[in-house]
Amino acid sequence: MMTHLLNAGLMTLGLALVSLAVGMVLAVLLCGAEMSRWRLLRLPASALTTVLRGLPEILVVFFIYFGSTHLLFLLTGEYIEFSPFWCGVTALSLLFAAYAAQTLRGALNAVSRGQRQAAQALGLPPLHTFVHIVLPQTWRHALPGLSNQWLVLLKDTALVSLIGVHDLMHQAKSAAASTYQPFTWYALAALIYLAITLVSQQGLKRLQARVTRYD
Amino acid sequence: MTKWIEYAYTLLDGLQVTLLITGSGLLLGLLIALVLTWILDKRVPVLHWLAEGYLLLITGTPLLVQIFLIYYGPAQFDWIKQSWAWQYLREPLFCAILALGMNAGAYTCRLFKGALDAVPKGETLACRALGMSEWQTLSVKLRHAMRRVIPAYSNEVVLVLKGSSLASTISIMDIMGLAQRINGQTYDTLTVFGVAGAIYLLMNSLLTWLFRLLERRALAFQQQG
Repeated sequence: MMTHLLNAGLMTLGLALVSLAVGMVLAVLLCGAEMSRWRLLRLPASALTTVLRGLPEILVVFFIYFGSTHLLFLLTGEYIEFSPFWCGVTALSLLFAAYAAQTLRGALNAVSRGQRQAAQALGLPPLHTFVHIVLPQTWRHALPGLSNQWLVLLKDTALVSLIGVHDLMHQAKSAAASTYQPFTWYALAALIYLAITLVSQQGLKRLQARVTRYD
Repeated sequence: MTKWIEYAYTLLDGLQVTLLITGSGLLLGLLIALVLTWILDKRVPVLHWLAEGYLLLITGTPLLVQIFLIYYGPAQFDWIKQSWAWQYLREPLFCAILALGMNAGAYTCRLFKGALDAVPKGETLACRALGMSEWQTLSVKLRHAMRRVIPAYSNEVVLVLKGSSLASTISIMDIMGLAQRINGQTYDTLTVFGVAGAIYLLMNSLLTWLFRLLERRALAFQQQG
């Protein structure tokens, strides 16, 4: 049963990584919308981030899983259940994006104006300025915040066990139920979560050191 | 439209439980955080290793696992079941508060420690040079640290309030628990969870607003100079 638990740990890691990828794309879009000149883009984006940050994570997960089925039923009159995995990814990546967009916005604003003006004065086209001057610095400013949000995301994955994704938490639950040894299995699951967290913390620390080596 | 009001009315029955868990969790968390911060700041031998371990363990694992570990875990051991602790540990409400408090304690300790470390060393030295006692020095340090702690602590309060919804996973009928029950009965998912979400959002905005008020009051002494 230990191998099941370890495999489920990989499942959790995969789920978190997929959510991270989707979440990053969403975060960039949300950040862009929030900084846009058009109110029609700005307002819905800020509303979405505010709501997502104010709701309990479990509510977001349930809302998307049960809500999507319900919505489809209202639209088509058919009961189709979406895959719990992808509902979980949607919820987790939305939650990640809401916080990451905030971080990105702060990081973009932290790049000093003079840099952009200097690039302009040197005759660098806007796209080049953004890609070669602004983006690398934004990334550097944003990394600590994003690292934190990755750790939050890792821990939030446990919630998708409640909608039936066979992740680490789910496996621990079924092992606990079948062996009558809840303490053992939940403690083991906790240790695996801890191991994933510690390894990613170390990795992120190295990445951070690399990114800021010129400072 | 009437359905909205009806759901809101039923869900508000869980408000008391949600507030009880959040409030007690925060109180317990504050207590744990103060003790841990003291241990870490004074570098109490041996104990500060234990405190570091505690922080690592709690902040490195999901709250859901902690809740399940505390609620379902003890049943594995007969000696716990026969002890006095069992009458508390078999209560889901007690376990939820314990888990949330232990969790909040770890995060709040990190916050306090960070704020204390951010107080410039010169300030402590100046206090000592002026012949202030240990307690007076501490009070100066604390006032400095407060500037950082109050805004960050409001985040923690929101986190605990949101986290209290996980109590629904061990059969507690808080707002989230009631929302799940009504959803199971009516399948009116979007409306039920929508109303529950609105209640949580409202509470969170209220809390944030209250903290901003407190911030302005508590930090008024800084605006005089």
